Amino acid sequence: MRRLIRVAVLATVFLVIPVSASAAEEVTVNEILEMGADLAGEEVALEGELVGDYGFRDDGSMWTQLNGDTYALLPIREGGRPAGANIGIALRIPLDLSGGLDPPGGYRYRGPIVRVIGIWKYHDTARPGESYVEVQSLTVTEPGRQLDQEIDWDVILFGLVLLIGAGIIALLTRPEG
Amino acid sequence: MLIRPVAEDFRVIGFYMGRIFLVVAAASLLPLTWAGIAREWHPFGSFLLMTGVFALLGVIGVRIAPKVSELDWSHGMVVVALTWLIVPMMGAIPLLLSGHFGRPLDAFFDAMSGLTTTGLSLLSDVDHLASSINFWRHFLQFLGGQGIILAALTIFAGTGGITLYFGEARDERILPSVTSTARFIWAVSVVHLIFGVTALGLVGWLVLGFDFDRSIFHGLMTFFAGFDTGGFSPQSTSIGYYHSAIFEGVTALLMVAGAMSFGLHYALWRGPRRSVFANLETRTILSTFGFTMVLTLLGLAATGLFVNVAGLTRQGFFQILSAHTGTGFSTVPPVELARWGGLAFGGIAIAMALGGMGSSTAGGVKSLRIGLTVKAVVNQIKQVLLPEHALVGTAYNQSGRKHLTPVLIQSVMIISLLYVALYLLGAGIGLAYGIPLQESLFESVSASANVGLSVGVTDPSMPILLELVYMLQMWAGRLEFVAVFSLLGFAYAWVRGK
Repeated sequence: MRRLIRVAVLATVFLVIPVSASAAEEVTVNEILEMGADLAGEEVALEGELVGDYGFRDDGSMWTQLNGDTYALLPIREGGRPAGANIGIALRIPLDLSGGLDPPGGYRYRGPIVRVIGIWKYHDTARPGESYVEVQSLTVTEPGRQLDQEIDWDVILFGLVLLIGAGIIALLTRPEG
Repeated sequence: MLIRPVAEDFRVIGFYMGRIFLVVAAASLLPLTWAGIAREWHPFGSFLLMTGVFALLGVIGVRIAPKVSELDWSHGMVVVALTWLIVPMMGAIPLLLSGHFGRPLDAFFDAMSGLTTTGLSLLSDVDHLASSINFWRHFLQFLGGQGIILAALTIFAGTGGITLYFGEARDERILPSVTSTARFIWAVSVVHLIFGVTALGLVGWLVLGFDFDRSIFHGLMTFFAGFDTGGFSPQSTSIGYYHSAIFEGVTALLMVAGAMSFGLHYALWRGPRRSVFANLETRTILSTFGFTMVLTLLGLAATGLFVNVAGLTRQGFFQILSAHTGTGFSTVPPVELARWGGLAFGGIAIAMALGGMGSSTAGGVKSLRIGLTVKAVVNQIKQVLLPEHALVGTAYNQSGRKHLTPVLIQSVMIISLLYVALYLLGAGIGLAYGIPLQESLFESVSASANVGLSVGVTDPSMPILLELVYMLQMWAGRLEFVAVFSLLGFAYAWVRGK
């Protein structure tokens, strides 16, 4: 019976630990922006695409931007529809968590999709007025990928025709003397 | 009696517009080259097309409609107003073909916003935009801020330049000729470009830890949008993207330089520098900046959004400087800016409405007009309070001693009132669509004063009529009405004249 109770207690402990480890509030980037003050100082978990640049600073951190918009799932160049501005927030990631990431999202890449857990620093006093997530853990849920580039030959041809046309008109109507 | 324009009038207008289109075609080679070097072939095609359109229009204007008479005042104004409509229309081609806009009007809106150095944007997914398209957006702000007409004047010296120069809302001739003034303005800009891109690039590379080429890219884009008080940004989170007080500081210097009149730049370069602070315009802008700054900081403190003074001051200062200089950069997201109610909202809205200095790249009513209005009001009060035969001084200092004449007061009042009417127009249309008063007014002032700060009203889902009104506000606000009214008068005379 004692053994049974011990197993039950251990099982409870193991069950509770993962729960507390993932006690971070699940939010979207949009929710963080909308409820910035309400979530100040809280541990949050969120997912999105890393975009822009990886800025490696002397203080042992790497800064980048996490976007939680529709383009993270389907960029315009892969058929996504224009649906307004990006929705992004800054991440401050310790250097030891920042290794091995694919290039950030931009024209040529869809950046890696990551799930981060961290503290939402709203109008941080240490960095006057700035808001960002101080990342504690980072998991890549989908690696980044290169975006294909199509060449629109019709547009190029039409542009050339117009330029040549302009040149011909200029030559034919050249003032005498 | 209205006189209907004849073929001769159209030929003159066509000739001068043709010249300007050729200058824009030459300028279009820059983004074309950028796209080629960056191997961005889809944008490359769209830049080739745009260059072809401008070249063809230019050649047709110059060659098919050869110059037959000199440019007079009304022709010049029509040329300016039409140029500022057609250049963004054609300049929208690469934006539209990028696929980042839902409808053609949205691309036209962004090009108009760029050229007028407003900075409001309907572009979707800027974070995945090609670098060459980003370059074009920012370069449009540079062209608009410097004045595309000014670019043409620098290249094509000749008669008629003075009309075009004043038509582009520049009321100060710094050097004896318009061409030498135009060249001086370009010299000032090139010096700032070298300083700005170097400083921002170094901050990006050494402090922010970006790759070297990306640092230069960010520096160049921020320079174009900062010095020309445009407000576009290569990333969706504007200057907030950089999370750096040093980057904000250098950007702030560029914004101030952009909002200064080129006459003031001349005085600072050539001296005497002391005279700068005796100018009515300088004193006015320092006073209004201080006033709106205090108002905003008090308002922000009352909202309780910031927990410490350093944060409140840093964010408040940057936003108010951006608003007053008409830049439109921000370090807080639009949803947060929308929460800056009360005095903070009032401070920012007033700063946007007042604008920068005359003959600068900034928009709004302009400091000199504010200063002259205040002086006129004070004089009026003195006139009432003093004995009947007492003389009230009308002198003021602006690059020398000048007098406040009734004609000057009248023209200042008319333009100021037109700005107020323009602010109310957009706010009224916004209200009619059910947008709250505060947000309607904020966005309307931002569009009319060519600022670009947004509380989220400017969005691809916005009503088409409101979008058109904002475009009209950006266009009329940038040209300070005269050229726009001249074009309307010309069109009316064409239809109803005899």
